[in-house]
Amino acid sequence: MSTTRQYELIYITPPETTEDALAELHQQVQSVVERFGGTIERTEPWGRRRLAYEIGRHREGIYVLEVINGPGALTAELDRRLRVFDTVLRHLIVRTDDELAVAERARLRRKAAMMQRRVRRGLPPEPTEQERQPREDDDDDDAMFRMGGGR
Amino acid sequence: MSDDRDQRSGRPGGRAGAGGGADKGGRRGFFRRRRVCKFCVEKIDYINYKDVKLLTPFIPERGKIQPRRISGVCATHQRALQTAIKRARQVALIPYVTE
Repeated sequence: MSTTRQYELIYITPPETTEDALAELHQQVQSVVERFGGTIERTEPWGRRRLAYEIGRHREGIYVLEVINGPGALTAELDRRLRVFDTVLRHLIVRTDDELAVAERARLRRKAAMMQRRVRRGLPPEPTEQERQPREDDDDDDAMFRMGGGR
Repeated sequence: MSDDRDQRSGRPGGRAGAGGGADKGGRRGFFRRRRVCKFCVEKIDYINYKDVKLLTPFIPERGKIQPRRISGVCATHQRALQTAIKRARQVALIPYVTE
């Protein structure tokens, strides 16, 4: 049990899979996750979806997305287990915490840059609600003015 | 000689109209040449592979990933887009190839 990471597990089962089988599969995933000291943050059943291409005669599949927090060793075991089940057509495990962190950093950097620009122009760092509203109105006015000029 | 020169100078002058037209469109006469990265403009930091609607504009009919030189996506985002498309393909959200 080292560092906790976030993973996204997505798996596809054949369209004729029963609710029970899906619950069973979820249980299996959960037991593996718990054995490694992880937790399932949330489960998103997407339901039936058309596949973009055929996977072993199937044109449709039931998608399930699970967001998992846990150590890295967990993915190898999950991957191995899921490959064994014949009820799983396809699965994918993606690490998401690092990518989301990168995105968050980019967002913060952009925000900081914006605040700097605003301060340099002698404005308060955060744009106020009032400031946003009239500007949109201004655009409308300009468009109207241009249309009037054209006539 | 001087006549020759006049003619020469006259020609580019005559062509200037056509050249100007080409300039308006772009370098090689393609008139769709707006070099803006969609993801930079819309401030999308994380290109999610599950968001098929976001990815489809970058996948022409054939199913290939559209090159940067056509879509105008910046290098950073093209890299992210590439991994997103490849992941989406693995889980059959997007086709590898379409005939």
